[in-house]
Amino acid sequence: MEILTLKNIHKAFGEKKVHQGVSFSLHSGETIGLLGNSGTGKSVLLRSIIGLERIDAGEIYYRSQRLDILDEEAYYPIRKKISYSFQNSALFDSLNVFDNIAYPLFEHTSLTEEEIHKKVDDILNLIDLPHAKYLMPSDLSGGMQKRVGLARSMILTPEILLYDEPTAGLDPVNTDIVIDIMNEFKKRGFSGIFVTHDIPAAKRVCDRILILRDGKIYFNGTKQEFIDSTDPFVNTFGSNNKGPL
Amino acid sequence: MIKIKEAIILTGDILIFTKDVFARTFNAPFYFARLFDQILQIGYGSLSISIVIGFVTGLVMTLQFGYGLAKFGGTLYVPAIVSVSLLRELAPIFTSLLIAGRVGSGISAEIGAMNVTNQIDAVRALGTSPIRTLVVPRVLATIITLPLLATLASFTGIIGGMLISYLEFGMTPGFYSNKVLSTIVFADIFGSMIKCAFFGLVISILACYRGFHTKEGTRGVGNATTWVVVRSSIIILISDFFLSKVILLGFY
Repeated sequence: MEILTLKNIHKAFGEKKVHQGVSFSLHSGETIGLLGNSGTGKSVLLRSIIGLERIDAGEIYYRSQRLDILDEEAYYPIRKKISYSFQNSALFDSLNVFDNIAYPLFEHTSLTEEEIHKKVDDILNLIDLPHAKYLMPSDLSGGMQKRVGLARSMILTPEILLYDEPTAGLDPVNTDIVIDIMNEFKKRGFSGIFVTHDIPAAKRVCDRILILRDGKIYFNGTKQEFIDSTDPFVNTFGSNNKGPL
Repeated sequence: MIKIKEAIILTGDILIFTKDVFARTFNAPFYFARLFDQILQIGYGSLSISIVIGFVTGLVMTLQFGYGLAKFGGTLYVPAIVSVSLLRELAPIFTSLLIAGRVGSGISAEIGAMNVTNQIDAVRALGTSPIRTLVVPRVLATIITLPLLATLASFTGIIGGMLISYLEFGMTPGFYSNKVLSTIVFADIFGSMIKCAFFGLVISILACYRGFHTKEGTRGVGNATTWVVVRSSIIILISDFFLSKVILLGFY
């Protein structure tokens, strides 16, 4: 079942046309890998889905609800269902790890302080940072910040998670931890769109691969179709390197 | 011509931003804890400097007026002149300029830094309004605390004046107090508070607006703080004339 549909999306920044008719759908329980060269508008597409950027033309649907016509206030309930994990983590630097992760719970739930602590402890165990609960973001490494950012975007158990390069700049150990978290989330039945340049990571997490080129979806296929592709442009992404599946 | 057009667009943008802030001030959810926290940061944090400014202004004014008026045998008018000028003009203006420098730059730097590190987008992405969570508490806190700080500065200035009147001109504190109390009226205090509330609105709105529109990383944050202090100081000084005129017409 399609839970997110993008139809003919157009977006430009001044003269620069970023999207010129992007269309695709995300199905329930599926994780899509969104690839493309730098500057092709992958992150802009994720930001457009949750309304942080406004599209110039086209339609975005979450289930049967049209999103692109909503005003900022009407978008807030949607952002509990579709969560966005920032490339730079975007943790609140004046709040500690607990307050960062608990922020959506304090804002959107009527849970008691004790219940919130329990939920935060659970997710800190999931991201393997139980000791970091009261540390400030500045005390964390880049990889730890990414994991806390992921935890914060997952804490409300959204239906769709938009990952903006969660493994960028991480060492292999931290990359493995982040991929395990994403796969755990996927195992629980949630959907995701994974923007990345990390092809091995995309192969390990994604069910389907999309490639953005010249403002449009150039390739849309299953992971196997991506690997088997003989298209020279698709191959520039290392699709035929037989990495781990 | 282009600069005038830019200025008109900027003014329109700031007015729309102000309208958004007001629209979100009077409906739920309310962030009382954040408001209280901001009142502490802005009000309590500026307490000592406001007292010092008020007290020193009172000392200097009394000294200057005392010796100036002594030539004409008018020393007895010093308490009235000092108290009225402090309450109506000097304390509100000095305190507001101080808050523009201390608090306005702080707010714009904090929100500007949040903006360039995507933290404001994160607030939005987590389903909350940055206007409600970041702007409204700061605007309300500045509007509430600035009049109180200015009134405090006025009274410490009057006490400073009493001290100098006694030490330099031999005026007893009882006589000084009587003269002050028989001169000042409620409208002096009320008018000063209205002015300061307006100045507080100007400082906080400009600071938040500029913070929200900060670009170019840390350099942009630095530019934003300068922009806020300069613009809000100019607006405070110019609007003070018009507000004084309106208050004089309306309350006296």
